[in-house]
Amino acid sequence: MEKTTNKLQAKDLVNVGIYAAIYLVITMILSFLSLVPIFHPLLTVICPIAGSIPFMLFLTKTKKFGMITIMGVIMGIVMLLTGMGYYCLLTGFVAAVLADIAAKSGNYVSAKKSVLASGIFSLWYIGNYLAVFITREAHYQHVIESYGQAYADSYMSFYPNWMLPVLLAACFISGIIGGIWGKKILKKHFKKAGIA
Amino acid sequence: MDWQVLSSQAENKGIRLDPRTKIFLLLTISILVVGGEVSGIMIVIKPLTALIPFLLLLSSGKWRQAICFTTLFTILFLCELLILPAMGTSGFLLLFFCGLFGRLLPGVVMGYYTVSTTTVSEFVAAMERMHVTQKLIIPLAVLFRFFPTVMEEYHNIGDAMRMRGIRIGGRKTSKMLEYRFIPMMICSVKIGEELSAASLTRGLGAPIKRTNICQVGFHKFDGCMLLYGGLMLVLNLFRAIGLLW
Repeated sequence: MEKTTNKLQAKDLVNVGIYAAIYLVITMILSFLSLVPIFHPLLTVICPIAGSIPFMLFLTKTKKFGMITIMGVIMGIVMLLTGMGYYCLLTGFVAAVLADIAAKSGNYVSAKKSVLASGIFSLWYIGNYLAVFITREAHYQHVIESYGQAYADSYMSFYPNWMLPVLLAACFISGIIGGIWGKKILKKHFKKAGIA
Repeated sequence: MDWQVLSSQAENKGIRLDPRTKIFLLLTISILVVGGEVSGIMIVIKPLTALIPFLLLLSSGKWRQAICFTTLFTILFLCELLILPAMGTSGFLLLFFCGLFGRLLPGVVMGYYTVSTTTVSEFVAAMERMHVTQKLIIPLAVLFRFFPTVMEEYHNIGDAMRMRGIRIGGRKTSKMLEYRFIPMMICSVKIGEELSAASLTRGLGAPIKRTNICQVGFHKFDGCMLLYGGLMLVLNLFRAIGLLW
């Protein structure tokens, strides 16, 4: 029955929505950890690892170019609406297109390329942190006014300028780890349940 | 908690706003209240912006929520503004919670209002009017409809796992991630497949243009709210470029 066109069908788009919802719920639940200052930078490790599980599952449903891109744009839109700033729109789009290209080069079946795509896609998460680096002074004032001097100082001490590449690398590496772990979980749980 | 309430169907109570207005107001709030500071003229702008969800809740007949929200927000805001500067750094924790919840609350309430008063068809109709591509409308509509379901699944599975001792501080803390997220995903994917089959049956993805019986359009009340939100944004812009203090 299934036609092998390269155009996105309604079913694919519905799938994007479903997996985006699962991904976002997991990300949001984990984001509450950021109330403790030390967890704030650590989220670049935790969220990609946990988020990679639904993402790897999503990749098993992805057979066409564009689905990952749409997923990334949706992440950006939701982050914009929930007040995380507009940088995510940009990072979401760029990271997702690159991830899409990576997955496409493996024809959406290669396990290695899927793991790589998961790592690249996780880079969108950096958008939540860009404000700290781009508008450093303004952001510092903003944190002082909203959470107090003590929190602001410990908060800013986590983000010297060299942290940006570190955070990027953290996103990427934990995305890869999450991807490998996700693959294992797919094998352990989802294959049995007949989903993956 | 009943998360399903968030995906409520059309309520014909009160004044109906266009979904586009709601999204604009949601953006206004997330820029001004969630991201904004508390100094200078923002002291006026912030509560005035937070007034928007209050008015909207009233207009849709949700009296109880409106009053709860306003009381809570007033307490938090006054706390942040008046009591805390007097307390100095000793009130760090309190300031933190006031600051955090004071700024998240209006956004959350506005989100609640938007999601609980907009049906998926209305949302789709409004997006089509804005000429957003189908490739974005369908996933967003699904996300809209599906997010509350996933939340509900998550909480139900959380309950089940607590019975088995899989919780923070329990004996099997390390298994939490695997034992809570995986069942949630399996449930959600199954529900999602049914949802996708249902929407295909209703002709989503048919090669012709779908019609929509929802009446969307801007009315007087939309105009007022758009103007009000726009005014707040302009005031904020003036402040940012230094025309206002």
